Amino acid sequence: MTLQLHLRQQPDVPLEAEVISPDQLAGLSNAQIRELIIYHGKRQVPLEEFFDVEGDGSQDVVLHGDLNKVRWVGHGMKSGRITIHGDVGMHLGARMKRGHIEVHGSAGDWIGAEMKNGFIHVHGNAGGQIGAAYRGAPSGMRNGTIIVDGSAGLEVGMRMRRGTIVLGGVARDFCGLQMKGGTIVLREGAEIRAGAWMNRGTIISLKPLQMMPTFAHANDDTPTFMNIYSRHLNQFGIDLPDGRAAGTYRRYIGDLSVPGKGEILVWQAG
Amino acid sequence: MGGKVTCTLGEVKQRADFIVYWGGNPAECHPRHFTKYTIMQKSKFLPRGRKDRTMALVDIRETKSAKAADIFLQVKPGKDFELITILRALIKDQRVTDDAIAETGMTREVLDDLVRRMKSAKFGCMFFGMGLSMTRGKHMNSAALLTLAAEMNAFTKFVAMPMRGHGNVTGADVIMRWQTGYPFGITFNRGYPRYNPGEFSTVDVLVRGDCDAAFIIGADPGATMPRPAIETLKRIPTICLDPHVTHTSKLARVHITTAPQGIAAPGTAYRMDEIPMPLKPALKSPYPSDEEVVRRINEAIARKPFWLKEGSQPMTVPAHG
Repeated sequence: MTLQLHLRQQPDVPLEAEVISPDQLAGLSNAQIRELIIYHGKRQVPLEEFFDVEGDGSQDVVLHGDLNKVRWVGHGMKSGRITIHGDVGMHLGARMKRGHIEVHGSAGDWIGAEMKNGFIHVHGNAGGQIGAAYRGAPSGMRNGTIIVDGSAGLEVGMRMRRGTIVLGGVARDFCGLQMKGGTIVLREGAEIRAGAWMNRGTIISLKPLQMMPTFAHANDDTPTFMNIYSRHLNQFGIDLPDGRAAGTYRRYIGDLSVPGKGEILVWQAG
Repeated sequence: MGGKVTCTLGEVKQRADFIVYWGGNPAECHPRHFTKYTIMQKSKFLPRGRKDRTMALVDIRETKSAKAADIFLQVKPGKDFELITILRALIKDQRVTDDAIAETGMTREVLDDLVRRMKSAKFGCMFFGMGLSMTRGKHMNSAALLTLAAEMNAFTKFVAMPMRGHGNVTGADVIMRWQTGYPFGITFNRGYPRYNPGEFSTVDVLVRGDCDAAFIIGADPGATMPRPAIETLKRIPTICLDPHVTHTSKLARVHITTAPQGIAAPGTAYRMDEIPMPLKPALKSPYPSDEEVVRRINEAIARKPFWLKEGSQPMTVPAHG
């Protein structure tokens, strides 16, 4: 049994709806869900003022409509599944602990920010600060996987500690800024300053990157972990060249200004 | 991460023997800065004044300030972040290739000389202008310079300070900071302050059209902000408080003329080093001050019956008892 939420009218100002999270909705009746409080600007309104609610609370939540201005969907979710048919606003799945989010559309900034674990798949484009640390926080996502089929904005994976981010399109500036761990896979490369100030972690790019001057070229080969890694990503339908493919990864170490031990692997077809 | 490493202009005047201006043109934009605070002043610690101080200028073109500088570094446009990051590596004796240095428009000799002078200074101070903070990279360019200043303290005393302009912008930051803990980009919609530049900063809110009214005091976003932001200001009710007719007041629904601060209205302005300075008005104005207008609006709102449905207002903690 799924719970269906249809956005009835476009909010004038951002709608903060962190209650739309399966573990908060499961076990509630249809009437109770309609009464849940969401924030329209500073006004507290019941959920039914903006959403048509079909079905009772469930671990499987489906949202419909242009949710561009709806923020904090799936905030801190611990279980269940959210499917969104349409665009969605900022902070999708921020601080989530477990669960599965799928967006058939585009998403805003800060998706999966400071997430502990879980899975987010955006079929369209995403904004900036994917899996990042909030301003002033020491570390971003701790684990989990974020897959974006389209492009992404600034500061992807800023200060992330562990976990995986895969981008199908181009990332804008400062991808992997101050990374402390984890992996970012760039299938279409990135704009300037990728890996700036990174401490540890791995950025894998399948397209040439404009490197920061403070990265040093180390060696050209295909690391053995790539075989395991490409098999792991295969289950999400992502193809990463490994030891069997013709070509090598050019490996850069940096950022020397930190000085850090991060690595950027740029694929060179053989 | 961490706080800003800074000082007052009084300390710069008394002690700074190495001064860097990055992406600014003080000779034309802050003409009294050299003579009052930085390079020209004599002090107990620098008795020979200009002869005891070294000034470096980093900019993309040779401006009038370059004449006053001992060292002029012409950085390639959009390479400031890279150059500062190289300097951060060089002060830690990390190896950076000559090709990487050449990409920023510098040579190794020039940078080695700069690093040597920076490390041997007794008190270094870096000032950065809009050439750094408003070009590609924005806040990260400023963050890079502030980090470099912080890291230089492993060798000698070093501070950094932004070159502020446009009236009392520092004051706005300072007041927001002591009242909420955050300098800008704050929302109060949940009844307590939350900070997230990019989400709540004025230009981003206006570009996305996330607000349904705008109240503008002593600023002219209509002249400086991008086109979508201006379209939003035209669409929503905009109220503008300004002594003059500006781009913003022309597109505002309501423009209240106020007395110009410091000329006809008293108050306090914050200098770029966050020192409050009293403003003594020289003239009388028939118009009310900004403060009086805001106070009267607040009084009028307090007299109105509360307009939200019972239970729908956020819980707020009153600021005064």
